Amino acid sequence: MKSVFKSKEIGILSVLLFLCIILSVNNPVFLTADNIQDIFKANAILAILAMGMTLVIITGGIDVSVAAITSAATVITGHLMKVLPDSPLSVAAAFAIAILSGLLLGLINGTLIAKTKIPPIVATLGTMSIINGSVLYFTNGVYLNSSNFPKAFIRFADFKIAGISILIYLIALVTLITWYVMKYTMIGRSVFAIGGNPVSAVRAGIHLERTQLFVYGYMGFLAGIAALAQMVYTKSVDPNGMLGFELTVISAVVIGGANILGGNGSVWGTLIGVVLLGVMQNGLILSHVDTYWQKVIVGAVILTAVSYDFLRRKRMESKLLKVEVEA
Amino acid sequence: MESLLRMSNISKTYPGVKALDQVQLAIKPGEVHALIGENGAGKSTLMKILVGVENPDEGAEIHFAGEKIRLSKPIEATLKGISMIYQDLSLFPNLSVAENICIGTESAAKGYARVKWKPMKARAEKALAELGLKVDVSLPLEKLSIAKQQLVAIARSLVFDSKLIVMDEPTSSLSSGEVEQLYKIIEDLRNRGISIIYISHKLKELFAVADRFTVLRDGKFVGSYDKEDMDEDKLIALMVGREVDVINREENAGGEEVLRVEGLSKKGNFKDISFSLRAGEIVGITGLVGAGRTELAQALFGLNKPDSGQIYVAGKKVNIRTSSDAVKHKMAYIPESRQTQGLFLRQSITDNISVTVFGKMLNKFKLIDRSKEQKLASEYIQILDVRPPIAGMNAGQLSGGNQQKVVIAKWLSTEPRILIIDEPTNGIDIGAKTEIHKLLRRLTNKGIGIIVISSELPEVLAVSDRILVMRRGRISGEIAASEATQEMIMNLAVLGTKAGGSK
Repeated sequence: MKSVFKSKEIGILSVLLFLCIILSVNNPVFLTADNIQDIFKANAILAILAMGMTLVIITGGIDVSVAAITSAATVITGHLMKVLPDSPLSVAAAFAIAILSGLLLGLINGTLIAKTKIPPIVATLGTMSIINGSVLYFTNGVYLNSSNFPKAFIRFADFKIAGISILIYLIALVTLITWYVMKYTMIGRSVFAIGGNPVSAVRAGIHLERTQLFVYGYMGFLAGIAALAQMVYTKSVDPNGMLGFELTVISAVVIGGANILGGNGSVWGTLIGVVLLGVMQNGLILSHVDTYWQKVIVGAVILTAVSYDFLRRKRMESKLLKVEVEA
Repeated sequence: MESLLRMSNISKTYPGVKALDQVQLAIKPGEVHALIGENGAGKSTLMKILVGVENPDEGAEIHFAGEKIRLSKPIEATLKGISMIYQDLSLFPNLSVAENICIGTESAAKGYARVKWKPMKARAEKALAELGLKVDVSLPLEKLSIAKQQLVAIARSLVFDSKLIVMDEPTSSLSSGEVEQLYKIIEDLRNRGISIIYISHKLKELFAVADRFTVLRDGKFVGSYDKEDMDEDKLIALMVGREVDVINREENAGGEEVLRVEGLSKKGNFKDISFSLRAGEIVGITGLVGAGRTELAQALFGLNKPDSGQIYVAGKKVNIRTSSDAVKHKMAYIPESRQTQGLFLRQSITDNISVTVFGKMLNKFKLIDRSKEQKLASEYIQILDVRPPIAGMNAGQLSGGNQQKVVIAKWLSTEPRILIIDEPTNGIDIGAKTEIHKLLRRLTNKGIGIIVISSELPEVLAVSDRILVMRRGRISGEIAASEATQEMIMNLAVLGTKAGGSK
């Protein structure tokens, strides 16, 4: 694995480092511990969702309903928290509710894709629309704010260990779990096998359906965790707050070197992709650049990264001889 | 000796085509058994049935290692001790060498269990060492050369304790040094008592490795023979002894030259190709799979840019860089896989035929004129005798032969002067084949020059005026159809000379 993934990752990593150097020269605030922690906190939801999306993309699929699922999980959890008593147990209950609702919605995606063979983009487009519509119907777009939550949850949200926000630990935990699943479980390796060569995978006895169910279920599970992270970060629930966020998630994964056609991708690459997006955003704000430019720059980064990758692949392919010509 | 594998009464019917008809195969323990036949003879189908990719028709019996088996999944075959090494290897380029070898085994872990990298790597290294290969098994497979990837596939069959290994065209992408190495490995496997079914077109190879031969022809069992009773000429005669309906036709000297190719070369595809094509003439291009025929056809049509050489159309030098350049020069190209590349299966016959000439189907408002389309379609349905002659029918509902007619119609409507057609009767019934052959001959009366690319020797002989044989990217010979025999062509394709090459 090492060389292929590493060479890709080093490419993005050097872009990230270059960017960091420029920003820290430009603005001394950038390299302060507080600012760096802020970057990670602000992108915790992105990081958590991108981990799940990495697995989805490695199988050759896509999930455009992640933002919708996350919103739904925040809305469900938020409204249930209104009636929960002020007790640490309520925080645990919030976890359970968020994760269960995310997991359930993810498994619906997984079932549609695995059993009915609907192409992932169509299946998740459908569920995205249904979920978004339902969320707006039930909430009328109304916000919840910190006054609606149990005090214990607010204390949990402000909780720090060694001066570091709970959100950072959440990113670390999700990243490590995903890394472990991808590297050390048969189901994780099946994800790669299916993305690399689905025909061979089935020939080798890998369960295509089970793996797809797992991947979209895991994506939903992480959407549940992301929903919680969202409530911890904003101490509110905004039913419209995540519209379009799925594209940012996919961007981070693609910038991180995952092949949108499946087969390749890594936790570390995705993490670098997330941080790159976060640093860009932070740097542009610190440099007082109009926030609209961010999208333009993100687009340029995606196109550069992906076309570089495709050109490299094409060159490799053209080197393979088709016919052994007699000299 | 008791057979390790006995397959009997194996038939396989696809819609419209009988791929296998009561075929049998018996393999002894520890022998290298060559399975041979022309393209389409049914070798791959038979092997797919053996490993459980395809199900045979009723009545088939397969006995392996003393028990009757019926497999429905390839992994079941692997676990029983039957490994298949596919021509494209069927491995995972993105996974590590170790995983490619061990996937599906206990040491790779099962279900949701933890992958045990250490024992897995050790097992993979051990299997590779037995084959004399030392590589870092944690590298992704795509970093390895094709020859080494093949050893990985063989190593995979070792970790499953295979008693029988099927190798489909194992040398198709190996250099000659690597082929020698493979022979040694096969020898070694045989000494351990492992049986091998070896599929190849290369007769030299077969005589170098095989102990026995089974010949298939047109989906039927011809016979099984010991190596001592065989030589290359006999084998070729058994492979090609096919009956074809001879088409009555007058010899065609052809009109003026419509296409000339001089010194066309492309690295890794073909080299130094020169030939000409006259109006009203059919030139057959044949050779083994992988000889560079399709690559050449695509180069003529602007789909595969050659490195050097010239193409002349109607005596004028042309520069064909894209397929639309080729269409402008009145060329038409019908690719081999008509279902994926040549037809819109879910659209009507009419839509399929008119798609190449939309520009001529417009009314005065520059919109598609349906009545013009209908007229065009019914004209070609009649000329080519498409059955059923229902213009509104979806192309996907037609039989193979009639689908091919629609593809031909689609290109004829552009009124080409040069028609390049690749494997015109691939997957089509014998009866429909003759019909397509007759159709091609009829088209020459209109002054079209046709290049027919085909692996089927009877077909090449039946339709061509002249035959070019390609071997390893070069034209190894040109024969007038009136003098050509299947043996002659096969010799040129396999050995590079017209005369028989054996003792």
